[in-house]
Amino acid sequence: MSAAALATLPAGLVWRADQLARPAADGIPTGFAALDAELPGGGWPRGALIELFAEAPGIGELALLLPTLRAVPAERWIAWIAPPHLPYAPALAAAGVPLEQLLLLTPASHAERLWSIRQALASGACAMVLAWLARADGAALRRLQLAAEDSATPLYLFRPLAAARQPSPASLRLRLVPGEDMLAVDILKRRGPALGAPLRLAIRQSPEPGPGPSCHALARPDPARIATASVHARGG
Amino acid sequence: MRGVDDPGALAVVEGHPRPRVVAATGAARSRGVAPGSSLAGALAVVPELQLRTRDPALEAATLAELATWAGQFTSCVSLDPPHAIVLEISASLRLFGGAEALARRIATALPQLGLTAALAVAPTPLAANWLARARPGSVVGFAPAWWRRLDPLPVALLAEGGAVSGATLELLHGIGARCLGDAARLPRDGLARRQAGAVSDALARARGELPDPRPWFVPPEHFESRLVLPACVATTEPLLFAARRLVSGLVAWLAARHAGLDRCRLHLEHEAHPETVLEIATGQPGRDEARLVLLAREHLAALALPAPVEALRLTADALIRLAPPSGDLFGDPAAARDGAALLLERLRARLGAGAVHTVHPYPDHRPERAWQAAAPGAHPAPGALCSGARPLWLLHQPRALDSTRALTLLSGPERIESGWWDGADIRRDYYVARAAGAGMWWIFEQLDPPGGWYVHGFFG
Repeated sequence: MSAAALATLPAGLVWRADQLARPAADGIPTGFAALDAELPGGGWPRGALIELFAEAPGIGELALLLPTLRAVPAERWIAWIAPPHLPYAPALAAAGVPLEQLLLLTPASHAERLWSIRQALASGACAMVLAWLARADGAALRRLQLAAEDSATPLYLFRPLAAARQPSPASLRLRLVPGEDMLAVDILKRRGPALGAPLRLAIRQSPEPGPGPSCHALARPDPARIATASVHARGG
Repeated sequence: MRGVDDPGALAVVEGHPRPRVVAATGAARSRGVAPGSSLAGALAVVPELQLRTRDPALEAATLAELATWAGQFTSCVSLDPPHAIVLEISASLRLFGGAEALARRIATALPQLGLTAALAVAPTPLAANWLARARPGSVVGFAPAWWRRLDPLPVALLAEGGAVSGATLELLHGIGARCLGDAARLPRDGLARRQAGAVSDALARARGELPDPRPWFVPPEHFESRLVLPACVATTEPLLFAARRLVSGLVAWLAARHAGLDRCRLHLEHEAHPETVLEIATGQPGRDEARLVLLAREHLAALALPAPVEALRLTADALIRLAPPSGDLFGDPAAARDGAALLLERLRARLGAGAVHTVHPYPDHRPERAWQAAAPGAHPAPGALCSGARPLWLLHQPRALDSTRALTLLSGPERIESGWWDGADIRRDYYVARAAGAGMWWIFEQLDPPGGWYVHGFFG
């Protein structure tokens, strides 16, 4: 079929690989205009597996999701399945995440993790599902992608960097690399043409340092320990 | 055998010293075991025939359970022992769309209880009983001379429930009355002279010419239903099948009482071992069968059986009155909330209540104590302690800093010194630092004893 014949087809019937796909439903805004512009549907896909690859947890992946976490509709859960560390309540509360909607699950085994993810998706009662899986084979990923599609719930799967080489049915795959004050987001796969260069998102990872010790009941004035600290302040 | 899908060749026997078969499964009947044949004869035809002794108490209990279950179709149920129940359905016809539709509905719902029944609909209880026995499936409405439909039925039906004695039945046979129509044509005063007035009375009751009052069945206050498994079971999968039957009965009992519950108990009875009790709790009062079965499934899947199970028992009390759900034109706004509660129950049932929670801030200056686990859905208490920068991830245990790691201190120190009163005393200087290629870290210098540097969280 020639390009001209293709152009006559109704929009939405055929997705041309050099254009961003137009999903049926608009995406969930990510809170970062630069990222929204590069995602089909202008945001996180609504019912899809989204893979996020990072070298280690804590490099800025939660900050990337904070705008979405703040905006979840009421009476729906935000499921966190097998997080690698403790989601710290004071920081989450300060960042405006609705803690009463948090559903923190710590399943003991890999099989129970997968089961919990599928349950959370299938219930339709979650606004978003965040899950941390060290390993997942292609069949498991395929099932998760289908479950996410069926329930129209986004599943954010955090995986180690090494897993990025594994083929995957996920509709969106992002690699996150921390930098100076910026998080580099490399779109490995999307429903659209490959992205030339990684996006650099200005994500302030630490909240504005608060009043600090001044309101700390038991704290003392800043001690003069800069000398010790500078020993460790190499490089950077 | 209600606990299993396909019981195979099985017969119920009664009588001593010469036991006779009183009932047999389809598999047994197709191989020649007929009700009424002697036990020796039946065993000669089917050597591997499984036998059960007839248990009148169990039959009565099953009949009562069935009557309870039938309470979902009409509030007027009466027992017609030994093996029938009568439903007064004239008030329910409109709701269920007519007698045929109601009969179909009952017939399709019964297998969930693990029971089969012969159904018939007639204007009087006695006529319905006779028709169910002789012509199952017939539906007779109020029509002129509807009782003509009773005429071809065998005269032996008159002995049902002891209304007519065996001697009278023999008398009728002796004078050539084979069907009820023949009996009805006999002169009433002639029958009365031969001490057979009961025949005309029974016929008159069946036609509605004499009153036939029946006491209504009152469903029990507490639900308890027991199912004996055909063989000891060591795996949980067959248990679910049996549990489903029990739940089906429980839901019907609740429907009959216009009530719901938020917890029930499933007892697994073992031979020579104390019974295992599973507490099935639903998040909110209801009588949703699918939900209860799901929860039972999760409980059973997580269970390690201490010994083989020989019987199941489902008990419930503490009813909660439920307002009937009103049909809503635009769907149910509470459905999303229900889904959220159901998900929570399922996760708790499978993973254990300790593995499902949320986190709340807690007023303590020590970072590892400034949070607490809470039940999902609970709102955190307002008014957190004012503090400096806090990381989104906290390590469960502070990790000693690798001295080769290049770090840039961005802010700090923040002295945190607290906890002398409970033995978990800390004295630390916290800093926000950037680790090259690994984001922002929350690190501290241990002051007491001095010297160690640790990472305690990631800003994520």
